[in-house]
Amino acid sequence: MSEQSVTDFRNRARAWLAENAPRRAAADDESGGPARADIAAQKAFQARLYDAGFAGLTWPTEYGGQGLTNAEQIAFGQEARDYALPVGAFFIGLGMPGPTILELGTEEQKRRYLPQMLRGEEIWCQLFSEPAAGSDVASLTTSAVRDGDGWVLNGQKVWTSGAQYSDYGAVLARTDPTVPKHNGITMFVVDMHAPGVTVRPLKVATGATPFNEVFFDQVRLPADAVIGEVNDGWRAAVVMLRNERVNIGTMGAPRTSPLSYHSLSSLAAKHGTADAGVGRKLAELYVRERSVSLFGQLLREEAMSGRDPGARGSVAKLAGAELGTFASLVAEQVLGPAVAASDSEEVWEVLNTALSMPGSSIAGGTNEIQRNIIGERVLGLPKDPGVDRSTPFNQLRVGTMRKD
Amino acid sequence: MALILTQDEEEFRDSVRRVVAERSPLSKLRELMSSGQPYDADVWKQLSALGLPSLVIPAEHGGAEAGYSVLSVALGELGAGLVASPLLAVTLAAGTLIKLGDQDAQSRLLPGIASGELIATLAAGGTGTARADGGTLTGELSPVLNAEQASVLLVPAADGDGVALFEVDAAAPGVEITPLPALDHSRSLARVRLNGAPGRRLSGDAAAAVDFAQDLANLALASEQVGAMAACLLMTAEYAKIRVAFGRPIGSFQGVKHRLAELWTTWELARAALRDAARAADERPDAFARAASVARIAVSASYVDAAVATVQLHGGIGFTWEHDAHLYQKNAMSQHALFGGEGEQLDRLTALLTARG
Repeated sequence: MSEQSVTDFRNRARAWLAENAPRRAAADDESGGPARADIAAQKAFQARLYDAGFAGLTWPTEYGGQGLTNAEQIAFGQEARDYALPVGAFFIGLGMPGPTILELGTEEQKRRYLPQMLRGEEIWCQLFSEPAAGSDVASLTTSAVRDGDGWVLNGQKVWTSGAQYSDYGAVLARTDPTVPKHNGITMFVVDMHAPGVTVRPLKVATGATPFNEVFFDQVRLPADAVIGEVNDGWRAAVVMLRNERVNIGTMGAPRTSPLSYHSLSSLAAKHGTADAGVGRKLAELYVRERSVSLFGQLLREEAMSGRDPGARGSVAKLAGAELGTFASLVAEQVLGPAVAASDSEEVWEVLNTALSMPGSSIAGGTNEIQRNIIGERVLGLPKDPGVDRSTPFNQLRVGTMRKD
Repeated sequence: MALILTQDEEEFRDSVRRVVAERSPLSKLRELMSSGQPYDADVWKQLSALGLPSLVIPAEHGGAEAGYSVLSVALGELGAGLVASPLLAVTLAAGTLIKLGDQDAQSRLLPGIASGELIATLAAGGTGTARADGGTLTGELSPVLNAEQASVLLVPAADGDGVALFEVDAAAPGVEITPLPALDHSRSLARVRLNGAPGRRLSGDAAAAVDFAQDLANLALASEQVGAMAACLLMTAEYAKIRVAFGRPIGSFQGVKHRLAELWTTWELARAALRDAARAADERPDAFARAASVARIAVSASYVDAAVATVQLHGGIGFTWEHDAHLYQKNAMSQHALFGGEGEQLDRLTALLTARG
């Protein structure tokens, strides 16, 4: 790919965005999932993006993609940074199930699902976590039992973003409980409109409902719903989680976030502060924010020069989450007693953002899991020799199950 | 402007790494500790032959004019190997002279510095001040890098209403240099007392030159610290793979694994900040002060953490004299204190950010 063609592409993207996309406003950054009412508008925007040749940049042309390289993908991301593209509903599908189907799906699955995803006609969600299977997602107990040619799905999923407006989901289910836990899982495509699928909003600590619980009660799955091989779903899950981490790790914190150095130092300057240590804390926040962003840039440069970032996406993910936690502490110092009670909207914006920070250190693999990954796959430290890898799943305890 | 190393930079890094491995392994530092020598003259010749003291010096003064990014890469290798050398001292002296712009002084001093034959040092980075009275200087500055080996001292001194930079012959009457017991065995530091010592007043904006020297010290120290911090963490990770306790390698325990992963994450961020500072020095002079400050703050305290963790995670063996962990710990503590400790660095960054608006 020549530099000139990337430059041409960048110019084309810049012109199209200026013409068609809404600019980012401060309020966009921390709002949760898009409301149901927005979905029609999002589908329309995604279709325009597709028609203009900016959807699925690195996906093969036979499945509706543009067949371009990471260089164009990165160029588009940079050009789009100051815009609030109304395509949040497609973020998960295009970032996780999409690439997984591209890598492991059958020819029929690719032709059936990928173009529709890119054109914004069908929205996807990802159904992995369960009440008793979070970090240890391979302990999942949702089951799929063979029934004639197809399968019957039963169980509960949790923390599912976008389930309320999704058409399809990529779901992990146990298909053989008599073998060790990683060996008895299969990934399926599930029709979210099928009988027996129930979606309920899940209220989190901030009072918002950005996620859902999803219940499956005797949901029938056809034989061709399997993604990859039967009982080889863990491999598919690993492919998808890797895509998730790259997705989250490279997002970066916008300058307009209420917890950015820029916002908090303006707030401190405007309201003054009684705390003499705040100045130094703000400087430290600047250092951390800047280094996290520079590390993201370094990873992107390495990827463009053909070096596999490997598990270092986990470094970006962990560093980003820890930055959020640190920024919340600095925010508390800046706000002073207003943390306890305030009638200022500005203060509440900061507080709600701070309260939402644990989300980033839990979602997409907790900080603890990221540290395992960095220790094992970046530094090469040995894995924890747990018993769970060799014991048949039906002899293991999961979640908060009692011992007796 | 790319943060990743160019191919030339990678190749240069590899040649410095080879010289360090062959000519100055950690056992060399222990030899110096027993002999009391500040650095090995042959090693310094080797490093000079590689062009290290000449990297930022313009070609017209005998320099390689290779730039600050290459210098940063080289300093990283010396830092990783705790190589004792006067490179930091001569780099800061050269950088100050280049920024000051006194043509005579540059022609007189830079060629010698570039070849490695002239040791010059900037009398700054610790505590104390000097003042000028006519052509003589009085005051006390401590600690000063490689003052005992230097033939030329560059002394910032209060002169009337402002500050000026003076070139002082280290052998002149009224110059008293006392070597100080240094915490870090790879650093040679001394107290400089000036009692009416003769100094040659150099022309140029001394305040700006001294300010630039602080930025350069931040870049140079951060380069060494990033190199040394990686060396600590890799050494500890290797040990955690082979040391067994309770029937498993200790690196499989999360108490060990997570501590290392956490420090490695901090290191990755610091290295990215360092690459930005090194590029800024060459390509965006307006952004250099801020970028160098960010890099130094990002690594300085973290390297101390990593060095302490190196002792801790090695357990008892890490606390022995024969183990290398204490060499890094002492280096880390010393580096963290020179040319502005943590509070000073944060206040300086605040000032830089506020000035930018």
